[in-house]
Amino acid sequence: MVIIFYTVITGTVDGTRAHLVNAEVDCSRGMPYFSMVGMLSSEVREAKERVRSAIKNSGYNLSPGRIIVNLSPGDIRKMGVHFDLPIAIAILRAYDMIRDGNIKDSLFIGELGLNGSIRPVSGILPIVIEAKNHGIHTCVVPVGNYSEAACVDGMNIIAVNSLNETIDYICSGQARERKVKKNYIIYDKCEYDFNEIHGQDLAKRAIEISVAGNHNILLNGQPGSGKSMLAKRITGIMPELTQKELLDITSIYSIAGLLKDGCMIGGRPFREPHHTITMTGMTGGGSYPKPGETALANKGVLFLDELPEFSPQVLDTLRQPLEEKKMVITRNTGTYEFECDFLFVAAMNPCKCGYYPDRERCRCTEEEVRKYQSRVSGAIRDRIDICIDVHRVGYDELTDMKQGESSHTIKERVEQACERQIHRYRDIGIRYNSQLMPKDIARYCKISDKGERILKNAYERLGVTSRGYYKILKIARTIADLDESDEILVKHVEEAIVYRVFTGKE
Amino acid sequence: MGIYDNALTTDEYWYWITNIKGIENKKISYLLKRFKTPANVFLADRKAIETVDKISEEDTDRILAGRDTRKVKDELARLSGKGIRFVHIEHKDYPDRLRKIYDPPYSLYVRGRLPDIHKPAVAVIGARICSNYGYTIAMKLAEELSVHGVQIISGMARGIDGAAHKGALSGSGDSFGILGCGVDICYPKENIEIFTKSIERGGVISEYPVGSKALPYRFPQRNRLISGLADIIVVVEAKEKSGTFITVETALDQGKEVFAVPGRIGDSLSIGCNRLIKSGAGIVTCVNDILEELGVNYIQNDEIFRKNKIMLEKDLQVVYSCLDLLPKSIDEISKVTGYDISYVTQLIVRLQLMDLVTEYAKNYYIKNI
Repeated sequence: MVIIFYTVITGTVDGTRAHLVNAEVDCSRGMPYFSMVGMLSSEVREAKERVRSAIKNSGYNLSPGRIIVNLSPGDIRKMGVHFDLPIAIAILRAYDMIRDGNIKDSLFIGELGLNGSIRPVSGILPIVIEAKNHGIHTCVVPVGNYSEAACVDGMNIIAVNSLNETIDYICSGQARERKVKKNYIIYDKCEYDFNEIHGQDLAKRAIEISVAGNHNILLNGQPGSGKSMLAKRITGIMPELTQKELLDITSIYSIAGLLKDGCMIGGRPFREPHHTITMTGMTGGGSYPKPGETALANKGVLFLDELPEFSPQVLDTLRQPLEEKKMVITRNTGTYEFECDFLFVAAMNPCKCGYYPDRERCRCTEEEVRKYQSRVSGAIRDRIDICIDVHRVGYDELTDMKQGESSHTIKERVEQACERQIHRYRDIGIRYNSQLMPKDIARYCKISDKGERILKNAYERLGVTSRGYYKILKIARTIADLDESDEILVKHVEEAIVYRVFTGKE
Repeated sequence: MGIYDNALTTDEYWYWITNIKGIENKKISYLLKRFKTPANVFLADRKAIETVDKISEEDTDRILAGRDTRKVKDELARLSGKGIRFVHIEHKDYPDRLRKIYDPPYSLYVRGRLPDIHKPAVAVIGARICSNYGYTIAMKLAEELSVHGVQIISGMARGIDGAAHKGALSGSGDSFGILGCGVDICYPKENIEIFTKSIERGGVISEYPVGSKALPYRFPQRNRLISGLADIIVVVEAKEKSGTFITVETALDQGKEVFAVPGRIGDSLSIGCNRLIKSGAGIVTCVNDILEELGVNYIQNDEIFRKNKIMLEKDLQVVYSCLDLLPKSIDEISKVTGYDISYVTQLIVRLQLMDLVTEYAKNYYIKNI
């Protein structure tokens, strides 16, 4: 006897948000007909052919009839190939070829091959998390996605390799034991350490301040001076991530399809897009936006090497994420929001040839130097708090066997400073000094009269702008935090002035 | 006789002959050798002009086509309306210093004034791409010289030239720029400030008609005016091969004294100067060296590095004394002094706010003098 109608739970991802989806199947006698509805993109429609062949090749014979598949709710766009498995299960059940068994209250995800094998898909993690939020206890996922799904605590994950194996599980309730293999972890512990860098004391100090207060930083220096080397080590001194933050990051990578083969996110991401990157590559794009570099750098570092070489349009898109820590993309299909809470690290040469102000090597005129530097628009410059010079290290420094401070030591100081900030700002909902608004600065960044005099002097003599004035105060606050000082002392202000963004000769 | 009416003044004839397209100094000299005065050239018939050496048929056409008295009068009137003075070689204001040189220009266009013949004049020249050392020294020398009543002459180019004008303008203001383009054009345009200030307080001079573009061949040519108008030439910084040497050569041809500012052995920007010194140029170690040569009395007891003598706290003094005119980075300072980075940053900012130190490029510092 044929059951007319059946529903299987699955899920989909829309931008960064996961939704649960019901795969409804209705079968009736009539002329052979297979139709799919529910706001589907073309790859979802193709499930029709894959499902039919996979069912046949798994040894089930569907008698000809009318099959209608509806993926509901109908107002959310469905994308991806992971609807194959739930549709196949729903059809088999609607034809009464398998028992009800464990289908109810389980979530199914997976792409089917024509022979009935099940392949890994992207976007598993956010769907499993969403399932957990809805009180579902069991998820059936492809073997290739097992370790990714398994990081959600309290969820019973059944990893399956083929349609038949899934049916076995449904009927018997027994799943084959599989090991969670976390063989490949991306952004695990930062693999580089600051103690490998000789010299560059100013740069190291500036980076420590930058990380401690989450101040965006620009490294200015000659080619080969080690700007990228320094940048690559930044994630190693950032505070540890919480489990929740790790899951958030992993979700984004899962949606972007970067977690194939069971790899996992183990730490803060370090994104280093090439300067030829397009606007959509940076912001996330397509008519159904996929996360771009800004979203992938969330909670980590976005490093732009050769900053002036990036197209001005691409750099301009960074304004919103730098300001609001999120990226909102509006398409005709709706508005998508990505969290973009990253530390912005940029590097550039001081001039076209790269050797200014070393007149033995640099042949650029002052005008050319100014032109090159002005290729970074004021809008981006305004969002950079700290700017320092990274110069080439001398031979004796390079070969000096004395090791510098390790990332571990620096990290301890940074974490201490971060805790002070979290404690201080518990009432106003921010975490870092760099997030202080001008009205809060007056309250949290009090300085002595002498410090005030120095700032006034700097404002008048050194061409500090009003925006620059606030930046100096915020940086001074961070330096004081690193110094475990509740007050901002004169020396903190003085040091902060050195890191200001320099706009040319005084 | 229509346009051949003898209706032009001498000035206007001179203006006419120096403003024919394609006829520059050399060709004018051939024309004048034959016809003696510009008026005669204006009135000469085609046949006579055609037989002049170096004058092609095309040139003749242009000479004949330009005989428009109304146009000449109008243009000259328009010039004085713009505050541009036209001074030809027979004019009473034409600088005597230039009459004596080989190949003197037949005409000069002047905005502001011409150098005073009764006052000494020194040309301060050098590399366009210069180090901060060269820039500061050029500026300081020019300032001190102009305070002592010396007129400063230079080419209003980037680098040393610009520094010389800037120095002169912060001294007495006797700054004279000799251009390789028309006096209505400011090239390079970033020099607009010293350009306009020189017009107000000194002068901007060119042998090229108004509207002439800055073409590469014009710059070496105008160098003979720089050396010609000056009594002494001071070279501040020059690479091994430098356009500055064209000026030095014309200066030597004109019998002018050449001085050079010494630099460190091995600095590419000082190779030229050091070579000049080796081959007999005067050496500049202070303003007095030049003033003595000019016969001017040294009044002020000022030394170039006068700020060396101020009293500072010990640590500030340590940092200050390890700086000089060539930019140093914070890491270098920290290594030399042995102070840790954040202490050095504090000291540097303190010195900066005392106006003793300038941030030359990001995190590179120089001493102010």
